[in-house]
Amino acid sequence: MRINCSNRTSLKGRSMKAAILIQRWYRRYVAHLEMRRRYTWNIFQSIEYAGEQDQLQLSSFFSFMLDNVTQMNGNGPDLISHLLDSVVDPLTEEVRQLKYEQIVVSESYSGPRLSFPLSVTDTNALLSAFKEEQTLHGKYVLQLLYETKKFLKQMPNVIYLSTSYAKEITICGDLHGSLDDLLLIFYKNGLPSAENPYIFNGDFVDRGKKSTEIIIILFAFLLLYPDHMHLNRGNHEDHIMNLRYGFTKEVMQKYKTHGREILQLLQDVFSLLPLATVIDNKVLIVHGGISDKTDLDFLSTVERHKVVPFLDSFVSLEPPEPPREELEWQQVVDILWSDPKNQNGCSLNSFRGGGCYFGPDVTQALLQKHDLCLLIRSHECKQEGYELCHNGQVITIFSASNYYEEGSNRGAYIKLGPELVPRFFQYQVSRSTRKLTLHQRVRVAEGSALRALKEKLYAQRSELMAAFQQYDIDNTGRISTSEWAQVVESVLRLDLPWRTLRPRLARLSADGNVEYGSCFEDISPGEPIPPVTPNLAETLYRYRTDLEIIFNIIDKDHSGQISIEEFRQTWKLFTSHLGVAVNDQTIDDMARSIDFNKDGSIDFNEFLEAFRVVHKLDVKEQQQG
Amino acid sequence: MAPKKKEEPKPAPAPKPPEPEPPKEPEFNPAEVKLEFTAEQIEDFKDAFQLFDRTPTNEMKITYAQCGDLIRALGQNPTNAEVMHVLGKPKAEEMQVKMLDFEQFLPIHQHICKAKDRGTFEDFVEGLRVFDKEGNGTVMGAELRHVLATLGEKMKEDEVEQLMAGQEDANGCINYEAFVKHIMAG
Repeated sequence: MRINCSNRTSLKGRSMKAAILIQRWYRRYVAHLEMRRRYTWNIFQSIEYAGEQDQLQLSSFFSFMLDNVTQMNGNGPDLISHLLDSVVDPLTEEVRQLKYEQIVVSESYSGPRLSFPLSVTDTNALLSAFKEEQTLHGKYVLQLLYETKKFLKQMPNVIYLSTSYAKEITICGDLHGSLDDLLLIFYKNGLPSAENPYIFNGDFVDRGKKSTEIIIILFAFLLLYPDHMHLNRGNHEDHIMNLRYGFTKEVMQKYKTHGREILQLLQDVFSLLPLATVIDNKVLIVHGGISDKTDLDFLSTVERHKVVPFLDSFVSLEPPEPPREELEWQQVVDILWSDPKNQNGCSLNSFRGGGCYFGPDVTQALLQKHDLCLLIRSHECKQEGYELCHNGQVITIFSASNYYEEGSNRGAYIKLGPELVPRFFQYQVSRSTRKLTLHQRVRVAEGSALRALKEKLYAQRSELMAAFQQYDIDNTGRISTSEWAQVVESVLRLDLPWRTLRPRLARLSADGNVEYGSCFEDISPGEPIPPVTPNLAETLYRYRTDLEIIFNIIDKDHSGQISIEEFRQTWKLFTSHLGVAVNDQTIDDMARSIDFNKDGSIDFNEFLEAFRVVHKLDVKEQQQG
Repeated sequence: MAPKKKEEPKPAPAPKPPEPEPPKEPEFNPAEVKLEFTAEQIEDFKDAFQLFDRTPTNEMKITYAQCGDLIRALGQNPTNAEVMHVLGKPKAEEMQVKMLDFEQFLPIHQHICKAKDRGTFEDFVEGLRVFDKEGNGTVMGAELRHVLATLGEKMKEDEVEQLMAGQEDANGCINYEAFVKHIMAG
């Protein structure tokens, strides 16, 4: 008996010990996973903001170009007119409308056929079609955009709404081309209607692959329920942003025949989107934020369609610049680009290249000035889909879930009733994430973030190596972890936990120092690149996106080709601006070598494709099958 | 939890060694902890500390609730009881509110790092072997779930779920050596 007793006790005791041991290890495992999740998020966010800084670089290049082109005696590429030319369409409104009506849609087209004025049948048809991955025919896109433009023209800059007509208003943030998120919102919250009004707070397009579908749906509902559907302009509702972040490409791919005209119409429509919405004279909704100069009364008087935020930043207006125009530009840019910060004051938002960082005091002052109680904005991705700051006076609402990567963040929307107390609803689209465990999701997101980070390292290899070598006087190939972290932080200018990341990026030698060359080992050029010096190659890797934008601007008819001369001149200007020493001969050689069929024109997409990097480990994985 | 042993009234004054209750631990005194970390290690900890700092102005402070997570993220695996001990046995409502800065964190972390009996791979496998009824290298997933949720420092249902996700085979069995490798690699 006794023996049995003690055996049982012993077993229980051992089970207890075992359980505690497992639980300890489990908790360690979870904490480690959490740490990885956090730095993954930091990586994505810093890279995104750094990308916005590149945009600034681009605009400064355009300024440089304008300054220098005159010196080339008109031999430079006609970039300026390309940039400044908005739609030069001599057609009158009536002629245009007729032209669209006359577009013939073939019998074999099985997608929705819209009829104006739109009805619920049309919006339902659109939703069904897009769920089935169908594309709306270019004719209807043009007609839709045309009607939207007509409608928006008569809207004011600031729209005043009231909650007395409906129970609650739903406010959504950035969608960035994620149709899944929009459909999920409609599924959870119902379609827009007189009883179910919506406000979409900008950034409908770019990054995601279904930007076209999103704006079609949003504009369709806008026309169908003009009093209950409201769209604010975001900083991505902009021609140059679309060139960089993918919307232009998406349109041209989906609409080979009508793409160019669609893009031109879109420019007009975007510029006509209202800038702000006010609910019950108490809640202000804008895409980015505010500055200490923001004034809603002045904003109401701005000719918003004339303000082209990005271009205007470098195009020199005819001197003397009318001060009013500059002020108008300032007001609009602040609304679209600003971010809240925690410290008081208002400082220039250098990361974004436009707008301000505004502090709690700025918020307080503006709310008081206009007798408001709350500012709702979007523009920044938040882990939980929303975030409060400035003592609850500012809410950020972001509606694109999994924005950086599968499982990276939730999306959310706000419901606001007459009592003006916001209620938050979160969601997360999960096609494949449902099948992945938390661990797998973190691993996928982390892998993606680290790849992006390694590409950044590779793109600034020579600068990094030079800085590393400054610490490595004896040329051992090794430096301390602190030195390594210091160099990487100062060259890349990304505020990340570099020491914690080090094991994922670089190898330690036996003596505990970092072998700094090892951080470049994993990356190599994708395809054999045109004969260029390593210096030039690195410049190409780094500024690939900028060059893509520039070439796309030159290539007005979106044919994918530009002339050799245009290529040469652009390249010369660009490298000169960057301070990269390249002689004329090298550029000529390069131009000649990539004119593969010797017809005097260059397929720049093909050229740029060569400068994509490849991650060796990925290649190995693929090879192993 | 195993039921507490009933104390029998003993007339004799001879003191029975208190068992199985552990000896009463003295309160944790951070001032008495000698820091033995290298400068490099401290830099590593600072880096990770910043990652957990959620203060809006980056004050280099974390909540009490995060302290355990940070210690674990840095590679230690204390029990919850050990964490509460070094935090000075705070009340539940204090965990999300009270903060500590980096200087306060170091002695706490040092104390945990010095603790013996961290548990190796073999210990861990041995622990799981306890539940290996047939001695064939596998445990029943259902039994393990039950144990983790009812014994020791109980885990919540969703925590157990997360731990076990994808580990059981078609028969609901877990090969525990693989399981241990999976946990220790994470």
